Amino acid sequence: MKSLLYKNRLALIMMLLLTACSEDFLEKKPLGQLSSDTFFTTEEHAILSTNTVYSMLRNWEVHVFSYIGITDIVSDDADKGSTPNDANFLTEIDNFTFDPGNTAFGGVWSGFYRGIYRANLNINRIPEIDMNQALKERLIGENKFLRAYFYFKLVRWFGDVPLITVPLNPDEYKQARTPAAQVYALIEQDLLDAAASLPTSYPPDDVGRITQGAAQGLLSKVYLTQGNFAGAEQYAMAVINSGNYALFPNYSELFQPQGENSSESLFEVQAAAFEIGGGGTQYNEVQGVRGVPNLGWGFNRPSDDLVKAYESGDPRRDATIFYPGEVLPDGSDIIRDNPNIENERFNQKAWVPDHPGGNGNGPGNIRILRYADVLLIAAEALNENGKAQEALTYLNMVRARARGNNQNLLPDVTTTNQAALRQRIWQERRVELAMEQQRWFDLQRQGRVGEVMRNVGKNFVDGKHELFPIPQTEIDLSGGLMIQNPNY
Amino acid sequence: MKKLCSLALFLSFWGIAFSQTTISGTVIDETGEPLIGVNIVLQSDNTVGAITDFNGEYTLEVPNTNDSLVFTYIGYEPQTLAIAGRSQINLTMKLQTNVLDDIVVVGYGVQRKSDLTGSISSVDAEELNRVSSGNVEQLLQGRVAGVQVTPASGSPGTGAIIRIRGTGTLNDASPLFVVDGMLLNDIDFLNPNDIQSLEVLKDASATAIYGSRGANGVIIITTRKGRTQETQISVDAYYGRQEVVTQIDLTNAAEFAQLANEVAINEGRQPTFDDPAAFGEGTNWQDVIFRSAPIQSYQISANGGNENMTFNVSANFFDQQGIIRGSGFERLTARVNNEYKLFEGVKVGHNVSFIRTNRENGPGVLTMAYRAEPVIPVFNEDGSFADATVRIPVGNPEASIFYNNNNNTGNRLVGNLYMDVNFLKHFTFRTNFGFDDNRGQGKSFVPVFEVSPTSLQRNEESSLNVSSSTVKSWLWENTLTYSQEWDNHRLTLLGGMTSQEFSFENLGGSRRNFLGETEEFFYLSAGEAETQTNFNSGSEWSMLSYLFRVNYVFGDRYLLTASMRADGSSKFGENNRYGYFPSLALGWNLTNENFMQNVEFLSRLKLRGSWGIIGNEKIGAYAGKPTVTSNINAVFGVTEQLQSGASIVDLANPDIRWEETEQTNIGVEMGFFNNRLIAELDYYIRTTSDILVAVPIPDYVGSDSNPVVNAATVENKGVDINLQWRDNIGKLSYNIGAIASTVNNEVLALGDGQEEIFGGGLGVGGLLGTRTVVGLPIGAYYGYITEGIFQNAQELENYPTRGPETPGDLRFKDVDGDGVITTEDRTYIGSPIPDFIYAFNAGFEISGFDFAIEFNGQSGNKIINAKKMARFGTYNFETSFLDRWTEEGSSNTEPKVTNGGHNYEVSDRFIEDGAFTRLRTLQLGYTLPRNLLERFGLSKLRVYVIGNNLVTWTDYSGYTPEISSGSVISVGIDGGVYPIAKTYTVGLQVGF
Repeated sequence: MKSLLYKNRLALIMMLLLTACSEDFLEKKPLGQLSSDTFFTTEEHAILSTNTVYSMLRNWEVHVFSYIGITDIVSDDADKGSTPNDANFLTEIDNFTFDPGNTAFGGVWSGFYRGIYRANLNINRIPEIDMNQALKERLIGENKFLRAYFYFKLVRWFGDVPLITVPLNPDEYKQARTPAAQVYALIEQDLLDAAASLPTSYPPDDVGRITQGAAQGLLSKVYLTQGNFAGAEQYAMAVINSGNYALFPNYSELFQPQGENSSESLFEVQAAAFEIGGGGTQYNEVQGVRGVPNLGWGFNRPSDDLVKAYESGDPRRDATIFYPGEVLPDGSDIIRDNPNIENERFNQKAWVPDHPGGNGNGPGNIRILRYADVLLIAAEALNENGKAQEALTYLNMVRARARGNNQNLLPDVTTTNQAALRQRIWQERRVELAMEQQRWFDLQRQGRVGEVMRNVGKNFVDGKHELFPIPQTEIDLSGGLMIQNPNY
Repeated sequence: MKKLCSLALFLSFWGIAFSQTTISGTVIDETGEPLIGVNIVLQSDNTVGAITDFNGEYTLEVPNTNDSLVFTYIGYEPQTLAIAGRSQINLTMKLQTNVLDDIVVVGYGVQRKSDLTGSISSVDAEELNRVSSGNVEQLLQGRVAGVQVTPASGSPGTGAIIRIRGTGTLNDASPLFVVDGMLLNDIDFLNPNDIQSLEVLKDASATAIYGSRGANGVIIITTRKGRTQETQISVDAYYGRQEVVTQIDLTNAAEFAQLANEVAINEGRQPTFDDPAAFGEGTNWQDVIFRSAPIQSYQISANGGNENMTFNVSANFFDQQGIIRGSGFERLTARVNNEYKLFEGVKVGHNVSFIRTNRENGPGVLTMAYRAEPVIPVFNEDGSFADATVRIPVGNPEASIFYNNNNNTGNRLVGNLYMDVNFLKHFTFRTNFGFDDNRGQGKSFVPVFEVSPTSLQRNEESSLNVSSSTVKSWLWENTLTYSQEWDNHRLTLLGGMTSQEFSFENLGGSRRNFLGETEEFFYLSAGEAETQTNFNSGSEWSMLSYLFRVNYVFGDRYLLTASMRADGSSKFGENNRYGYFPSLALGWNLTNENFMQNVEFLSRLKLRGSWGIIGNEKIGAYAGKPTVTSNINAVFGVTEQLQSGASIVDLANPDIRWEETEQTNIGVEMGFFNNRLIAELDYYIRTTSDILVAVPIPDYVGSDSNPVVNAATVENKGVDINLQWRDNIGKLSYNIGAIASTVNNEVLALGDGQEEIFGGGLGVGGLLGTRTVVGLPIGAYYGYITEGIFQNAQELENYPTRGPETPGDLRFKDVDGDGVITTEDRTYIGSPIPDFIYAFNAGFEISGFDFAIEFNGQSGNKIINAKKMARFGTYNFETSFLDRWTEEGSSNTEPKVTNGGHNYEVSDRFIEDGAFTRLRTLQLGYTLPRNLLERFGLSKLRVYVIGNNLVTWTDYSGYTPEISSGSVISVGIDGGVYPIAKTYTVGLQVGF
């Protein structure tokens, strides 16, 4: 061939190119990822995907900044905090000058619905997996509880919300709002299913997963919120009678690391701050003492009104509110004065001694539902159901724990007058659960939110501010199917 | 297991013996540049002929050495040379008219300009270098009609957003780049000095041969090749200074304090500052971050060769410091473009460049300088950094610059290897293997620091993030070309097959608590092992294509081009794996008709029309396949351990396929007065359907990201005009030119049930400021129309309101007339797309002096001043706030000063005019006379000065009216853009 080519006069070569390209050349699998083709086929997948719903609980959009805003800051328990010019959108929340464009609403809306999507995916896909039946039912129960939890918050904030129970197809993206009653029906059913399939406790490695007690406890609150006092009583008593829970002896320590997953805990967002980063939440940072030593942002300042709400000498006040000059609970430092903050106070319940892996990596579990809350639900429901004497038992259990060893404080409540006792229970809820993101929902369901807000000088408009506005972006994207709440 | 694509190559050989003589040679122009595409035929038999290649070389077999050769080349004087027994005939052709460069590089070949049926614009390489920038994309601005170039930012080393004939998609609308046959998505690596020619392919006739990748236009770049000549060494060097063109007018300390107090009062709080006036001027943070920065480039190259081998070797060092402190870019480029003749008719060659870059990433202080309080000094009296976070979460920019250590380095090898085989007289087989191997490493170190004991601007543990990425691509193209000329016919057939594979991988990690804080500790091993994190991910995709084209010319008058490409891509689901992209074009050279021969003033007249379908497939590698995202972990257990989480948290669309663009083009090319005046006019309509886009979906769907769907249809239509006048007056040669293009962008459909697509997150709450709807341009701005300020309580009663307004707030127009302001009253408030883009230039040369002046601009587009909208706290103010309403009658345009709420709804308050005209280039050069230089052994010596971006006429209040965005539904939203600099440069060109 070489000699042929070297021949000067040649015109040669015909090249024919045949391709034997296998179809594989155009078949590329995702790299470094599980393939969606084979996902939801094993027990391991069911656990992995359920864990992503729990992960959502630590999300910025779920239990952190905007969340604090539309639970505590909006209520009479707390003011915005931080410096006056910081985070204007929360100032608007605090002052009731917000509108549908306020980022707080869009934030939680997005976060909670992402949680709902993940739970929906699991509830719909785990049943088809061939796996241990008991584990399958448990995991579905966990997902149903979490879905109910997400919806329960949304329905109380926004009223009617799109009720989505399956992952949507593209032609289903435009949704209208579903009447709140139907949302509540799903919440109740999910919690009933969860209560039926979940264990009362877990082995040590799985502590923090949803239990039967959590489902029953949340269900009692769901019924209470709707004024179904029989239901509230039934499920609060189920928790109490289970014997699985007890008040933690020391109220102050309940919110410190030693109080995590205590005997009093029904549902806590599990967080841990790892050296390598991750595992935590920013719940501690945004409410932490601004500047040194805590490096927090100082939002969610306990209000003057809250300070005044405590009975004389109630130790819960000092356990809830930090002041400059106060020694930190672990004795490591004192809170230094920050001259740029007016009327400086901080939420002590959000304090953590350390945050390895970054300032924003808070290790504190977020206490969502605890036994004292259930006792007070029981008390409130029993009182409404005409069982004042029994109600007093549970109310006074909470007061007894609060007073600790000092018998001069917080005497037992004795009134059996239904109206008077109701007020005492509401008052007890406020101070017992202060700065735990409960107050707004309590006032709302008690039908007195406008009155209380105006009493502390807030610009609350009846017929409008009971519900928050649907995020404007969502209305736009729903193709106008969603209608805004009244008067926004 | 992945099977490699196996290509079986069958070669068969025939030896055919003729009694023939081979004649070869090189054809150059008067400047010594090779002429590509010169037609050479035997005088006695014009079926025997050849065309010169890239290097101006040709080879021709002649049966009789007593014959003569006829050399013709459009724009040059034809010449006839007797062979006279020679085997090598070189020729210098003389210019016939002022028309230059009549050969045009097209996809998979070259073509005479007179034979073109498509709309292709060539850019002179010399013109590109009239702007001092290391990035070729930015140099294209104002060069080609129908091409809009918006610098991605003024940050050193960054590219530009290029739109050819409007925005044809809601997706990535950037063009395809083809450098020496290698298909690429960017040309950031390319050294402008290495470019020999640059062609912009605009219509379907030109781009359809690139199938699913051609829909947004194609830019073909050919780098300098070696020539058969004595070795020439040339040196190009320039040095310049860059400065910020303008500063944004922000309030000084006294004004700021006054406005801050009013904000506090308006929001029901006590005033913040006791005595605003006492603050005086305060700190101008823009002075702190901007600087006068050098830009420089040094190039040395060698070019030469003989019959058997040619070479072009170059090395370039480019260094640009940013006008924002702490940013900079260095690039070292080496290029070797060689070609070797193996045998008669068989050539192999390579065009290879190696690039090293080092980018210093600035600390992002632009927004900080815009926001920081002017009442804060840069330094305390003791020399420490002042704490700027006292009232707002904005740090001290000086401290951010000081503590910033963030570098990216890159090594990239790009090029191609090819073999051309000419056989059986009319056939050329070309196999071309292209490669791009791009490796980058990034390091970002944050030391332990605190600006002050109480400042939020602090870092308690030192940390280092290291990441590396590898982007690789190979391309293998095999094409067979058949060219034949007989009688009045000229026919070229092209067929081929190509495959390309892309892969991406990154790898990185981080640690904290380092042993030291100087550069020798910037290695992960110096950090605490317990704190380590790592990541590693990858993706890959591939394409397999078949292409075919026919070019036919009859009598130099009637032209036809037809092409077809079939593309298969791994990005798309199996049902939609292949797409087919045809084109057809016709042309008519009227000047070659007999009846036109007597029209003296008209030296050229060509009509052409084209139609074709092209595609765009720029979406993620796995958009058609839902992926399982891992590491969404949960914490459980008494000992608080992470448990892994993974799920399908992103929605995907398995049915997606490529977008299709149907483009029709009608063009006329005219030359008058012996081509002194050249005019080109094109009218086009581009309709893109099945547009792929990650449409924002409601959050209640719950996906972590928005899935991609084939949704919309968009039409772009417009006119491209190019006018050039060249002439001489005695020794003075001069030229005047203008390009202009109009774009009318309109959304025709958005898909089933889709009425609108919102985009553009603005302000603190991420308000959506653009709404793409049928009948309006893509990404049209959407908000309220303002109608003044509520002056008093009475006006609040008299006019419709939203509810929260108080006196001093903006009054919005009740568009739907229902007596109340609701979100339904938001409406179209402007387009981000300019409807007119233009440039003009003029220049002259006399007695060694050369002068050029260039302007470019655009009009019809609006900008959203989004940085003004985003007030998370009482940041510094633009001076426009000083015109605020304070009491009845004080202002009817600027509302009372607040940080958020009603007045920060998306409205025309934040819309500004984006029109501008810019003095892009002012250049003066002097070339020393040759006879003087020869004494020093030099062949060329030119010195020059250039000023770029010296003046911009615009009403826009920001740094620059050119606001780029990667997303076409969020264009023109100025959230703080690294400004384009004005530059003064002196340069030197020497040839040996």
